[in-house]
Amino acid sequence: MTIAGLGPHGERASAPERVLLLPEDMERARASGLRVAVVLHTLESDWAKQQLSGIIGMLGNCGVAVIDVIDCAFTPEVQIEALGRLIEEAPDAVISLPVANSKVAAAHARVSAAGIKLILLDNAPTGLLPGKDYISLVSADNFGLGKIAAEGLSPHLPDGAEVGVLGYDADFFATNEREIAFVNWMQIHRPDVTLRVQRFPALSAVAATTRALAEAHPDLAGLFVVWDTPAIMAAGILKMLGRKMPMTTVDLGQEAAIGLAASDPLVAIAAQQPFRQGESAASITVTALLGRPSPDWVALPGLAVTASNVVECFQTVWRAPAPQEVLRRLRLVGLKTSDQHPS
Amino acid sequence: MATTATAANDAAPRRKGRPRVTETAAPSLVEILNLVRTEQATTRQEIERQSELGRAIVADRLNTLGDLGLVDESELGAATGGRAPRRVRFAADRGRILVATLDQTALGVGIADLGGSLLMEHHEATELSQPVSALADRLVTLFRWMLERHSDIQLYGISISVPGAVSDGAETLFQRATPGVLPGWESFPLVETLVAAFDAPVWLRSSVETMTMGELHAGAGRNQRTMMFVKVGKRIGAGLASDGVLFRGAQGAVGLIGSVPVTIGDRTGTLDAMAGSDHIAQDGRLAAENGTSPILAELVRRGAEITALEVAQAAQMGDAAAIDILAQSGRLIGQVVATLANMLNPALIVLSGSIAQTNDILLASAREAIYGACHPLVSRDMQIIRSQMGSSSGLVGAAIVASEGLFAPPMLKDWIMTGQPQAHPLFQEMKKEIARRKVTKGDMVRPPDM
Repeated sequence: MTIAGLGPHGERASAPERVLLLPEDMERARASGLRVAVVLHTLESDWAKQQLSGIIGMLGNCGVAVIDVIDCAFTPEVQIEALGRLIEEAPDAVISLPVANSKVAAAHARVSAAGIKLILLDNAPTGLLPGKDYISLVSADNFGLGKIAAEGLSPHLPDGAEVGVLGYDADFFATNEREIAFVNWMQIHRPDVTLRVQRFPALSAVAATTRALAEAHPDLAGLFVVWDTPAIMAAGILKMLGRKMPMTTVDLGQEAAIGLAASDPLVAIAAQQPFRQGESAASITVTALLGRPSPDWVALPGLAVTASNVVECFQTVWRAPAPQEVLRRLRLVGLKTSDQHPS
Repeated sequence: MATTATAANDAAPRRKGRPRVTETAAPSLVEILNLVRTEQATTRQEIERQSELGRAIVADRLNTLGDLGLVDESELGAATGGRAPRRVRFAADRGRILVATLDQTALGVGIADLGGSLLMEHHEATELSQPVSALADRLVTLFRWMLERHSDIQLYGISISVPGAVSDGAETLFQRATPGVLPGWESFPLVETLVAAFDAPVWLRSSVETMTMGELHAGAGRNQRTMMFVKVGKRIGAGLASDGVLFRGAQGAVGLIGSVPVTIGDRTGTLDAMAGSDHIAQDGRLAAENGTSPILAELVRRGAEITALEVAQAAQMGDAAAIDILAQSGRLIGQVVATLANMLNPALIVLSGSIAQTNDILLASAREAIYGACHPLVSRDMQIIRSQMGSSSGLVGAAIVASEGLFAPPMLKDWIMTGQPQAHPLFQEMKKEIARRKVTKGDMVRPPDM
């Protein structure tokens, strides 16, 4: 699958296969006694857990020791302090997801200046440049995710429909790219559709923003929300208001998967691949530590998920069976033997 | 729409007696605002000293600028014995500048404050070969999206970086018509479309010019007066800042050094063709195929495509063939730049472009060639470094172009009394002309809806 977007500074994407590790690379890494630390925005979410599993598993395959895993709890100050502490510890590399933009830029630059290889996940702080201040950025193709969500919603929209877009009112690269791409796709492929955009500043404001959007536009015939947690919250509000409309979002969380299995109200989801993203970040780290060239930006394509492929996509994304509720709704469990083998 | 002080003055016949406040205040307002904006003066005392204006006048003008929201005196400066003076700062957040960079395959957009600091940027793939109208539609849509995120702050100007020399024939203080930068642009009113959609003056500059401005004001060239900027990519171009100002030549076509003929052995070609990134990539692929570069051959074995960046990275890792390729490019670029340096005597030469920025070999060989061919007086204190800004320099530079244009005394004096550049009489005139053409030619200038 091709990558639709460009990187934070306009970089062209490289595929994860570009940093594929060969057996001899792993052998060399194993013989080098390497040490790596991981700094994430949170360790609570499924997405973060899966990404961490990918990182640690791949580093384990290469005999690289993970000496610390830090949960920054979405707090720039915690991340700044943690990076400072890691510089003292002098690992060979740090894999970090910057929790803010300019606030954490200097702290990340100090890691690099200390001679520690820095690999970024999802976000590049203002002013930091690939090849100079960090090795590579690894992220989903967020522009592509927005496109997939638009393509998935389009068949469910009548001619001349009004469609709501619930964006995130913060300067965050990933959600900005998704919103721009969704709107762009609709304008090119569905010029008959009128888009109504509103943005929530925090998760606590999703309910009020959804309500305001729905009440201002009583004819809304579809909704796109920039990630799954607010999408599930918005779906709850719309249900309470007695409004029924097809929705699409990004990320295949548990709740979203259940909604998608029933095609109500979610009709399609653009899913990231956090486990694979983690593996790619680990591969780039090893590649850089072995002194081989690394691309500026590695982007992972999104998966287009509907009710028809939600089970296998869930397994691909989460490396776990789909929730029982999903399997039940799709009639993959709970069937009597006589139903399965009618005589 | 507001009319300007100057427009009002023009309308009324000049009378005898004391001049109007608007006539006397504007020049001192312009002078004081620019002293504060460029941080040449940061307290009232420094303003008085630099402008040679009296205390009462300075106080009055600062009050006016404060009322217009263009200066801020809310902070205290450092005390030098006695009471700490109020710090006078330019209120860069008073307005916003929309910026864009267009190149052959990508469109970058951003929004900056009046000081040229980039607040948000977005890049997406595009084809410059598509109709200008489609490009303008996309630009307008993305600009609208950026503005929505900063809707509470007034737009002051728009600045676009384009992949070709911008003739200054259509520019009087700002662009008053769309110049024919690229084939097809003559037939579509890009500038007029932007003015109609956003009600703000527009500036256009070549990508090398905007990158030069970005580097001069926010990168390696800070605090320099004379700087030469060399962009190494598929094409090789140069920009020149002389006495702190972008030098634009007779027609805005400065620094097209990529078309200078150069020779290696028995081969002669333009600098673009003999040292640009296409040439580096081509030689790299050859080195991978014939096995002289083990690192590039290994990349090919792993299915990677060899571009100039891969060659640069291989050279950085000590691959002999890749080093030769980069060193040769660096030498050729250095020879051409040395000729310019001997003519212009810059204090600083900045090499930019992703290859120059990530590769020490190209930089080192260019340095060797430049220093070797320069007059000792020219090379004595001259620095040659790589860009510190990367690809954001085009957007930052575009913002600086608009900021410099907005606050240039000939422009500023005619809008400062209203606090809005849109009130400039030439801009008002341009808008009337656009509206008149729209009526006579139909709905040609129609921005798309978001």
